[in-house]
Amino acid sequence: MSLSPVQFIAVPLFAAFLIPLIGKASKETVKLVPGIVLLYLSYVALNLFPRGLERPIVEHIAGFNPPFGITLYYGPLAAFLTTLVTLIGFVIWLYSYKFIIREPFEKYYMLFMLLITGSTGIILTGDIFNMFVFLEITAIAAYSLTAFLRDKDGAEAAFKYLLIGSFSSTFVLLAILLIYMQTGTLNLADIALKMADVPITMKIFILILFITGLGIEAEIFPLNGWAPDAYSQAPSPVGAVFGGIVVKATIYALMRIVYLMFNFHSVLHFFVIMGVITMLIAEMSAMRQHQIKRMLAFSSIGQMGLVIIAFGLGTEPGVRAALFQMFNHALIKTLLFFSAGYLVFHSGSKHISALDGLGRDKPLTSFFFAFGALAIIGLPPFAGFWSKLYILLSVADAHLVTVVVLILISAVIEIVYYLRVVSRLYFKRETATDVRRTPLSGLAAMGILAVVILFVGLYPNTILDWLTPAARELMNTSEYIRTGLHLNSGLLSINF
Amino acid sequence: MRKVIAVLLLGIFGYYIFALFVNVPFGVRHDNVGQHYLEHSVQETGAVNIVTAIVVSHRGFDTLGEVTVLFLAATGLGAILYDKKGKKRRLQNASLIVKVASKLIYPLIILLGAYVFVHGHLTPGGGFQGGAIIATGVLLMFISYRRFETNHNALSWVESLAGMTFVTIGLAGLIWGTSFLQNILPLGTPNTLLSAGVIPLIYIAVGFKVGAELTALLDNMLKTIK
Repeated sequence: MSLSPVQFIAVPLFAAFLIPLIGKASKETVKLVPGIVLLYLSYVALNLFPRGLERPIVEHIAGFNPPFGITLYYGPLAAFLTTLVTLIGFVIWLYSYKFIIREPFEKYYMLFMLLITGSTGIILTGDIFNMFVFLEITAIAAYSLTAFLRDKDGAEAAFKYLLIGSFSSTFVLLAILLIYMQTGTLNLADIALKMADVPITMKIFILILFITGLGIEAEIFPLNGWAPDAYSQAPSPVGAVFGGIVVKATIYALMRIVYLMFNFHSVLHFFVIMGVITMLIAEMSAMRQHQIKRMLAFSSIGQMGLVIIAFGLGTEPGVRAALFQMFNHALIKTLLFFSAGYLVFHSGSKHISALDGLGRDKPLTSFFFAFGALAIIGLPPFAGFWSKLYILLSVADAHLVTVVVLILISAVIEIVYYLRVVSRLYFKRETATDVRRTPLSGLAAMGILAVVILFVGLYPNTILDWLTPAARELMNTSEYIRTGLHLNSGLLSINF
Repeated sequence: MRKVIAVLLLGIFGYYIFALFVNVPFGVRHDNVGQHYLEHSVQETGAVNIVTAIVVSHRGFDTLGEVTVLFLAATGLGAILYDKKGKKRRLQNASLIVKVASKLIYPLIILLGAYVFVHGHLTPGGGFQGGAIIATGVLLMFISYRRFETNHNALSWVESLAGMTFVTIGLAGLIWGTSFLQNILPLGTPNTLLSAGVIPLIYIAVGFKVGAELTALLDNMLKTIK
């Protein structure tokens, strides 16, 4: 069987169907399945990555030519994001291995595999209705994972998420409906081609529906009310799933749609403003939190605000910086959720005040938390420094001095609340010792992330070299249309 | 005050949606994708039911996604309502008339469900509809007989195997054809039972899967007391 992008979707899906059958033979083997699947997917990713960079792979599902069938578009951007999802998915599996031990853990792994299916599907698909289907898969898996602990708080958070998420799906579906009525097609490239004929009022209404619908999942203020509860009440690896995978996939969906269909500059300015508001409010709320995972949730929203600002600049360096920040944030926030998960486990309380002196009792876990905190603040040897620097540079290039100042202010706020936790870990006297040890698989997962963060921090160009073509792909709409529909360049210039 | 503002905003939003949709022409033919399906789908897929041709062949990948959504709902519900000790239904036994009648109708409903999904490529209906019909038959038995039980082990086998069949048919297209879900079997003569290549196979798998899943869902949700 030749390697093809569809395997990113089909293989985890197959595994999710297979897990209950394996569970009947041996419950312990179930835990290994996601690991094997994700290792195989990283093999596929490594093989396809250079091919995708060279020339986008457009796969026609069921062999129908676009726009009559569904296509998958595996270009530099999709190559980068699927590789990121596979990597983050793998470390989350490694961490869950000893963390999720209560029944019915086989359902946890099924839901996790389906969530991977959904998010890779969102990234790969070249068809807007297909994107909706994968958004649904991702969202429903996320609702169930939020309530996985079956306690009162988890159920409440999941129910809130479910209600808001249903609005999100409805809005996206309405938008797709209007697009189909206007253009008569569902293929993304074909829609982008025909969008020019759609009346402007209709366009704006569709855009509003998309921004509210996808903005809920992408945590844009004021649509992110579900996020702090869901992040903090779900099991810790699930918090990492939200911050590392779900948000990244949905923000990709939003930006792909905006850049393809609504490519006018006032829209992008709107994103800069929304990003700034999201960032400031989230960072100020994070400052006031007493629970560590809620603080991380608000910090995650704040970082997404930063990403949205950079996307809203509409320049190639800006988009590249946004992608770089997405990459770094996925790694660092996952590391923070992992270490915070075990800090909460050892201290027996979700509150920051219970963490006093854990630095001496649990040196490795605390070290990883401090490492992540320093990286997300943007201290020089770590990966977070470069992406923040590039975002600031590209904002300055766009002559938005106020935005630069506001980003710096929010960075200061970030430093305050992260160092507050770190100082409690190290400079307070310990209150109690916990004899339980952090399992090796958890430490290994954190170790892998820390090594990657440090490596990217020391050699940022390794990542930036891949991000340049990815940013170009998002910016260059006519190239996407041409490859997506297999048009030759002459035909396209007549249509435009 | 907050409620007044909320209602007001909702009204404005509702008005705009109405204003947009009221102007959209209904039932007008466009020269677009839909037209292509109407004209070419029988010769492209071999299925005379064009809806089925679109759902299973042109947009088969979406259908795989929809099957997954249902599977996901059943799995998520199973995870959230999980209880080590078994639960029971609260329902009372129905009257003798209902019991006797449902016993008679039950096999017929199952047969109708099977007929609908096997003939999905020829007549209206298909895997989802057939599966839903089968689940209503089981629901009838649940309502009539308090002690009527389904075999959960078997249901979960059916669910998994049917899902894997769908993905395997897709991967077979990748191995022996050029792409995922490609119709690799001969299309046959339209309007006969053995036509349209893999479409009937997919719909049979979907029928089994939806039937088993909806049954398990109903069973899970009806059982409330320990």
